[in-house]
Amino acid sequence: MDTVFIQAIVNGLLLGGVYAAYSAGFSLIFGVMGVVNLAHGELIMLGAFSSYWMFALFHVDPYLSLPVSMGLLFLFGYVVQKYIINRVIELPHIMSYILTFGIHLMVANTALQLWTHDFRTITTSYSGANLAVWGLNIPYARLVTFVLALVIVAALWFLLNRTETGRAIRATSMDKEVARLMGVKIHHIYAITFGIGAAVSGLAGALISPFVIIFPEMGLSYTIIAFCVVVLGGMGYMPGALWGGAILGIAQSLSATYLSAGISVAITFLLLFFMLIFRPTGIVGKGIVT
Amino acid sequence: MVFVPACIVVGLIPFLTRDEYILRVATVVLMWIGMAGCWNLMSGYTGYIDFGPVVYFGLGSYTTAICMTKYGLLFFPAVVLSGLVSALVALPIGIPTLRLKGAYFAIATFAFAETMKQVALEFDRTFGVKFFEGSHGITLPIGGHDNTFFFYFIFAVTVAVVLAHYNVEHSKFGYGLKAIHEAETAAEIAGVDTTGIKLRAYVTSAFFLGLLGGIEAYWITYITPPDAFSVHKTVQMVIMTLLGGMGTFLGPIVGASFLTLLSEVLGTKFVEYYLIMIGAIIIGIILIMPKGIVGTIKDWKGIRFI
Repeated sequence: MDTVFIQAIVNGLLLGGVYAAYSAGFSLIFGVMGVVNLAHGELIMLGAFSSYWMFALFHVDPYLSLPVSMGLLFLFGYVVQKYIINRVIELPHIMSYILTFGIHLMVANTALQLWTHDFRTITTSYSGANLAVWGLNIPYARLVTFVLALVIVAALWFLLNRTETGRAIRATSMDKEVARLMGVKIHHIYAITFGIGAAVSGLAGALISPFVIIFPEMGLSYTIIAFCVVVLGGMGYMPGALWGGAILGIAQSLSATYLSAGISVAITFLLLFFMLIFRPTGIVGKGIVT
Repeated sequence: MVFVPACIVVGLIPFLTRDEYILRVATVVLMWIGMAGCWNLMSGYTGYIDFGPVVYFGLGSYTTAICMTKYGLLFFPAVVLSGLVSALVALPIGIPTLRLKGAYFAIATFAFAETMKQVALEFDRTFGVKFFEGSHGITLPIGGHDNTFFFYFIFAVTVAVVLAHYNVEHSKFGYGLKAIHEAETAAEIAGVDTTGIKLRAYVTSAFFLGLLGGIEAYWITYITPPDAFSVHKTVQMVIMTLLGGMGTFLGPIVGASFLTLLSEVLGTKFVEYYLIMIGAIIIGIILIMPKGIVGTIKDWKGIRFI
């Protein structure tokens, strides 16, 4: 096996870890509430911008400002769910798609007015530095992000499976009426869930901020990737984000290496399309099918 | 029946005004009524949320553009061919995707539309040919037609779409579509060929979208994949229908006219804040009148008379 191939696989895995981090929140929100959050990419954009401003104004390293991005986005998500989305949560799901699209338009364009169309980057002392092993190049920033992304997914799993709030969230997603009878305040749980989903997405945005271009309209493409990852891994099945991320990352990296970068996007969507038709429960078959 | 007089009045617009701006806006409104109508025909009545209808519009645009520039076809046959190509593509795509439900159907149709956009963008570069012309786009021959010409072409297609709605409201096919919306399994048990009916609605709407795409391409004379397959076109169709009222005869007509005229006003007066306002309006409508304009008015009447 040649180094080009191994390098492509390694790049794909690194990319996949990041994909997993920024799709986990999307999967959580869908799994619990059935809301396909079209404003998902905006949460990532806000996370990335919060670490950008921390860096630009106070010279705080993007990895150190993670808690700030997380906290801000949790608040944002909680408020949006509590005062807006909760009001249509009992209606057909289409309402929530359109509603979140409205939120997407508002957030992205407000950001555009506030922060202009400029492309911004965060240049740290370790930007562009590589770890070279066995003839492979691994950028430090991507490696750190990859590891932290895995930590995020694990933490989310722990939160859902080992805490009281997590139990309430899982109960609500299984059967909201029974959960309500058991004394769970489901609308509060929905707001918490959206808050957690937003916080995780904001974290992911902050994590990728050292090596991506940050601009107000970046969101939609991230929403689309999250779609793909979550479908590949199984909608609403949390560890599926890791599977989906890895598959998508490797597929994109291989097709970009051997075909062209543009066609790799087409392959992504083709993969998504066939996955939905032949295996809608995701690669490990644990997704929710409506 | 107000339909025939309404058609005649709209059809007389080019004779009533010589103002090119009004004529252009009227054509745009008609085009959006047609497009939103296509979406309503399939998704509005069945409740299957199609997030990729723009793919058939884009295919129509590209068929017309390629036929006219590469094969020297005239405009009219090229547009008819556009509709047929879109319908022919919709058939094999519809059969597997229409088995999916809920968010899965929405995402699959969305994925297909994005795939086609990327294929149109990257096909030439990847395979070293000159067919879709990638991101350069295709410039169509300029025929020297005025706005009236395009007004009547789009008017004809839109009237056909509205007639299709009329057919849905008054036929067994329409009852079948509505039954799918209410309770698909029950409809199937009652002997409704649900897959066949969904497929018919899907292919019909693809056909009309193909026609509209072909006409629009020749009208604006320049197309690129990001424009022809723009996700924003899909979103507009969805929002207009929802605004007017999903699964109603008047819904797309009311929604498309309202939103297009509103965009025309807001877009010229508040260029910078226009999209923020549209976002706020969408949120407001979903929260205040989730049944759309037509549905809400129907409810009011219901309260008064019963």
